[in-house]
Amino acid sequence: MKTHYLLPTALLILSAPATAEITFNGFGSIVAGVSEDSPFRNNLYDDDVSFRPQSKLALQASADLGEGLSVTAQIMARGADDFDAEFEWAYLSYDISDSTTLRAGRLRIPFYRYSDYLDVGFAYPFISPPRTMYSLTFSTYEGLSLLHNFSMSSVDVNVNLVYGRVEETFFPTTNPTKGTLSDIAGFNTQASWQSFTGYVTYLRTDVTIPVPAIEGLAAQLNQAGVPGSLTEQLRINEDKGSFFGFGLSYDDGDWVFNSEKSEVSIDDSLNLTSDQWYVNLGHRFGEFLPYFYYGEIESERNTSIPSQFPASLQPTIQGAFDSQYIEYTETGIGVRWDFHATTALKVEFTKYDDIWDRNPATALGTADNKESMNQLRVGVDFIF
Amino acid sequence: MKQLKRVSGFALMFLSFSVFAEIAVIVHPSNTDTLSQEEIQRVFLAKTKTFPSGEQAVPIDFDDSVAVKNDFIGQVLNRNSSQIKAYWAKLVFTGKAQPPKTVASDDEMLKLIAANPNMIGYIDASKVSPDVRVVGTF
Repeated sequence: MKTHYLLPTALLILSAPATAEITFNGFGSIVAGVSEDSPFRNNLYDDDVSFRPQSKLALQASADLGEGLSVTAQIMARGADDFDAEFEWAYLSYDISDSTTLRAGRLRIPFYRYSDYLDVGFAYPFISPPRTMYSLTFSTYEGLSLLHNFSMSSVDVNVNLVYGRVEETFFPTTNPTKGTLSDIAGFNTQASWQSFTGYVTYLRTDVTIPVPAIEGLAAQLNQAGVPGSLTEQLRINEDKGSFFGFGLSYDDGDWVFNSEKSEVSIDDSLNLTSDQWYVNLGHRFGEFLPYFYYGEIESERNTSIPSQFPASLQPTIQGAFDSQYIEYTETGIGVRWDFHATTALKVEFTKYDDIWDRNPATALGTADNKESMNQLRVGVDFIF
Repeated sequence: MKQLKRVSGFALMFLSFSVFAEIAVIVHPSNTDTLSQEEIQRVFLAKTKTFPSGEQAVPIDFDDSVAVKNDFIGQVLNRNSSQIKAYWAKLVFTGKAQPPKTVASDDEMLKLIAANPNMIGYIDASKVSPDVRVVGTF
């Protein structure tokens, strides 16, 4: 019945109905940045202007194979990876019905509000989404995604159910280690009503990342007589990882507001749970969109695992946990100028401030740990 | 009195909207669906693929160079062009949808809509031909 209507229309629209129609789209960003010469929190820039860390170019091809089947592939070259091209997306999708689509292949993990189009600078105000919030360094998985959309009166709801696996080099800047997130399962649900859009995400996974420093520490402790059951509490070895996030956005054409919050944790491991959030406000004046954002990331201190160790080892173990502690804020102010139909120019100044908890009781941080860093970026985002 | 009110209403509308064209949203004459502005928006923003009757809906848009497109975005979609461009960038680069097919002229639009019962388009209201049915003016 459905094909009955589809076919004549398709014949009318397509000029070459005998072959699948392939659509090409692309996008990119050229970002120049400079900062104070400081290693602050894996700073991407230094005091020489650099074009490489956040510039990128992507090309996407999608083909409608008919009967509800389509193929999409997106290849991206990032300056950060020496412009080596990699597949960001590559999947087959099947429309089970008008409102339900099953996708299989390499897909984007729907962590955040902007996850699906994380690299498409043209689609959001900032040069890049706030680092405090968008702190996870991996963004794609291999597996399945079931998309379903429906509307309740004037509320549009999109549900994305996810199942899959990630094989990646984790902690790329501090402890680059090949690891696995297996049995990733969860959902992202987004609802929009008039100018408002809200979302909730929950994902869980089994995490295995054999960080050499942690594996070495565990081996040393085992030699010293600490049982393996206890050092399992340090190793990132088949531990449950979870991500919980939510956000609210508003865009009435003039005012733009975004806010997100998330909690990331890996149970039973030498890794601290982190909480992060930001708020963003902007206003359009014709082609100009000045904006502001403020974000924070903070680790939760873990004392429960160290307390399970023999008293003589507790200070060492607590010290190892505390050395993972981070807490900093980010304040950004910028302007986006839509000077061309498909190209936007952005200028953004960002200030990062460490706000270590220097409470003597927790012995975390010293006055020397209070650091700030200023960064200035100019970017051009385009789509084609 | 009633007439006077209407006249001044018209004058006001003319004054404040004189730069905008009135937009007629058009379908094939055999399409008897009634569409609210919200339903029209849903079709043109790829939020639904069907008319209220359940028949497949294929929106047809104008190229960016056609002036009436901006009026349509403002008056019918109630958005501005940078919002719309960002909206399509999101859908396109996640592989979820492609923007509507476009035509370059009023004639092409009228011909296409007049020839296909599944299509829905729009045009400057003063250029509507008897071969198409108007589902709403904005």
